[in-house]
Amino acid sequence: MLSTESGSVDSVLVTTKRRRFFTVPFVLLVSMAWSARTQAQQPPHGFAVERFYPSPPGGGWFVMDDLDMQGGLGGAVAVASGYAHNPLVVTPSDGTQRFSLVSDEVFVDFGLAVTYHRYRVSLNFPMPLLVIGTSGMFGPYQLTAPAVTVPTHPDVISDARLGFDVRLLGEPASAFRLGVGAQLLIPFGDRDDYVTDGRYRGMFRGLVAGDIGRFSYAGQLGVHVRPVDDGPVPGGPQGNELLFGGSAGRRISMGSRTLVIGPEFFGETAMRSTVGEATGFEGLLTVRFEDIGEQHLRVKLGAGGGFVPHFGAPDFRIVVGLELVGRRSEP
Amino acid sequence: MSYGSHCGRGVTVDAQIIGHVQPPTIARGHSSLMTTSDCARGARRTRHIGRVLPVGAGTLAAILIASAPLRAQTAAPGSRAGEQPSLMKALADQDLHDIEDERWNAYTQFTYISNWKGAFPAAYTNANGSINSLIPDSERSFTGTATLYFGIRLWKGGEAYLVPEVIAERPLSQLRGLGGSIQNFELQKGGTATPQAYRSRAIVKQTFGLGGKREKEESAPMQLGTHYDGRRIVVVAGNFSILDFFDKNAFDIDPRQGFFSLAFLTHAAYDFASDARGYSWGGVAEVYWDDWAVRFGRITPPKDPNQLPVDFRLFRYYGDQVEVEHKHQLFNQDGSVRVLAFRNHEDIGRFSDAVGALQADPQQNAANCNTFNYGSNNASAPDLCWVREPNVKVGVGVFAEQYVAPDVGVFIRGMVADGHTEVDAYTSTDRSVSIGALAKGSLWSRPRDVAGVGFTGGWISPAHVEYLRLGGIDGFIGDGNIHPGAESTVDVFYSVNVGKSFWFSADYQHVTNPGFNTDRGPVNIVGARVHVEY
Repeated sequence: MLSTESGSVDSVLVTTKRRRFFTVPFVLLVSMAWSARTQAQQPPHGFAVERFYPSPPGGGWFVMDDLDMQGGLGGAVAVASGYAHNPLVVTPSDGTQRFSLVSDEVFVDFGLAVTYHRYRVSLNFPMPLLVIGTSGMFGPYQLTAPAVTVPTHPDVISDARLGFDVRLLGEPASAFRLGVGAQLLIPFGDRDDYVTDGRYRGMFRGLVAGDIGRFSYAGQLGVHVRPVDDGPVPGGPQGNELLFGGSAGRRISMGSRTLVIGPEFFGETAMRSTVGEATGFEGLLTVRFEDIGEQHLRVKLGAGGGFVPHFGAPDFRIVVGLELVGRRSEP
Repeated sequence: MSYGSHCGRGVTVDAQIIGHVQPPTIARGHSSLMTTSDCARGARRTRHIGRVLPVGAGTLAAILIASAPLRAQTAAPGSRAGEQPSLMKALADQDLHDIEDERWNAYTQFTYISNWKGAFPAAYTNANGSINSLIPDSERSFTGTATLYFGIRLWKGGEAYLVPEVIAERPLSQLRGLGGSIQNFELQKGGTATPQAYRSRAIVKQTFGLGGKREKEESAPMQLGTHYDGRRIVVVAGNFSILDFFDKNAFDIDPRQGFFSLAFLTHAAYDFASDARGYSWGGVAEVYWDDWAVRFGRITPPKDPNQLPVDFRLFRYYGDQVEVEHKHQLFNQDGSVRVLAFRNHEDIGRFSDAVGALQADPQQNAANCNTFNYGSNNASAPDLCWVREPNVKVGVGVFAEQYVAPDVGVFIRGMVADGHTEVDAYTSTDRSVSIGALAKGSLWSRPRDVAGVGFTGGWISPAHVEYLRLGGIDGFIGDGNIHPGAESTVDVFYSVNVGKSFWFSADYQHVTNPGFNTDRGPVNIVGARVHVEY
């Protein structure tokens, strides 16, 4: 009985093992197929389309940083606003079904910075006022356009940026200044609105700037730590990115006031991809009026567009900015 | 207006006053308030600015970083006493900032409130498929808020303010079952335990001086340090809480240091137009003339009752309010009286229309709604979803506060609303009264402590009762049946100031007839609060 039972048990076990031998892969395959099917049916999440990251308040340029921190405890506040047209256009490889998933974007970015000697801590709050586009199909995906307007989203804030910058070499107004900066992007908002990745992000940048006679310049090279790599949208985020940019301007003195005119270029490329589809590059022609000495004021205007299309690099962009720079004392 | 004005005029003129206060905001009862600054000054100055910068930056960083994974919540500013550390004071102490004539300022606050509700008796709960009962089991609730306040002077007489805020919350019974007696004024409709960031206020304010005695406004959240004419016109436009300007808190006590119950934030029957968080878009105009003030505001209502999307058709749907205020002295003690009236023109339903629709056609019941509704499954109940159309809601109220001794004051407020239509933004209460006393701890040598005791009562109209008796629900209440009675709350609290910038508070609330229903309750709720401001 026992052996019979035992043999019977063994037989059952063998049978069970055989069944498992076939069943497990079958279940796995079905699961994978189901999983793939499920994935294909899942509506894609959005991501942070905007790639225009205004410089910290007091940074001078729109995106670049003049590394002009100086004096004792001081600070600045800034408001930047702008419009971008077609910052996210979906274009399949065969060129068909092209549509603007995000066609219009208006934002306001408010920032506050505190400086001490060569150090600066800053905080920026971007507030999307309008993010709209056209929904469409891309392969198996139904891509739903965002519909952010002030009435539907009366109080939305997107990813806040907490930054720290330090000038390592050079003095204010010198020919060559070198610094580094780091920013933590804190996820706020809804991914479906294409205003956030829904994940923490970080930016680490090397910064240069200088003033040579009536010529000013600035540049940056850095890394954008971006965990999101799952965007099914063509040209969406593909993980960490390399940041680059530069600016140059002619300074026109008007008594105690200054007018600075010049171009500003900036872009990014996914670090694991080759240059091309994963690279965005745009430029702005900027004019800024400065009266730092008396009015502690800087007014900026810029217009431009994307040279290399990628998400965040729009067909064209118009931006304005206002900075109030606090008094500076001796350190 | 908020803070400053009081310091310069009467009520909060010197350090002997209870505090200053600020305006709150609400949301379904929830709101946030604002606090004010303490007019008392004097203060020891921070000498090592080098310590201040890292502390300030660290505070901002900690609030922002922590806010994401924490339970934070939304609330408004707190008071700023003379000895209280702040970034602005530190800068001023180093002669880097003119705190009496500011071009900009920045403040921050963090508040965590925890409540525990004990089990209570209830003859029934969510009867016949209704869904708005306060659950009779014991429950815990919390809110956490972190707020930054930025202000900047734009031009002569022009100021702008921006207030980003983060909130996380878990209400009792999904914020259902209570009329005006919400146990925590910070709660918002639609809030979640996952922190949500939003912009609570973005306003531009223009002041036109008309002369009179110069009044000093202390630097505080949403108030640049400056001087105003005692006679002036103030125009405000943007995104704000109407309670920033109307029916400010008694004695300007920062709600985050005061009563826990929402019923003391403003009139429970003041169904001011706002989105689900308690904020509105629109404009306010004020005229100050010595001891008198008159203000008018028109603001946006929600597109659907108690929801976040806003209807910007301000000439078609709006909330109007007008308030007249007079400050006085009685037996050498400051006091003030205010009369407030509101008129909302919104897309809301009348209780009698909903009942009539059901009687005329039983298919027009709560379970069959095919437009915006609150999800009742009661197939025998009326529902407002069938009868929403442009309707008018009106109310009028009175508020009076009076100091009876230095740092001790009493207040009373009452309001009557018409009671014909549903709650659109604030609470389900149609008539409300509250009375209480607040004291700072100077009598017992703890001048920054705050203690208070108050009673509030709320009622609903006969039409509202009939609608609920038939099983209907509104935005917050509806047990499936009702035996009507006054919903009342007794709230007792004590806030201990520790280390100048920290307050720890304990609170007890006894709520009778929750949801205006004598078949349920009473409910006992205890609470604790941590409040930090810098």
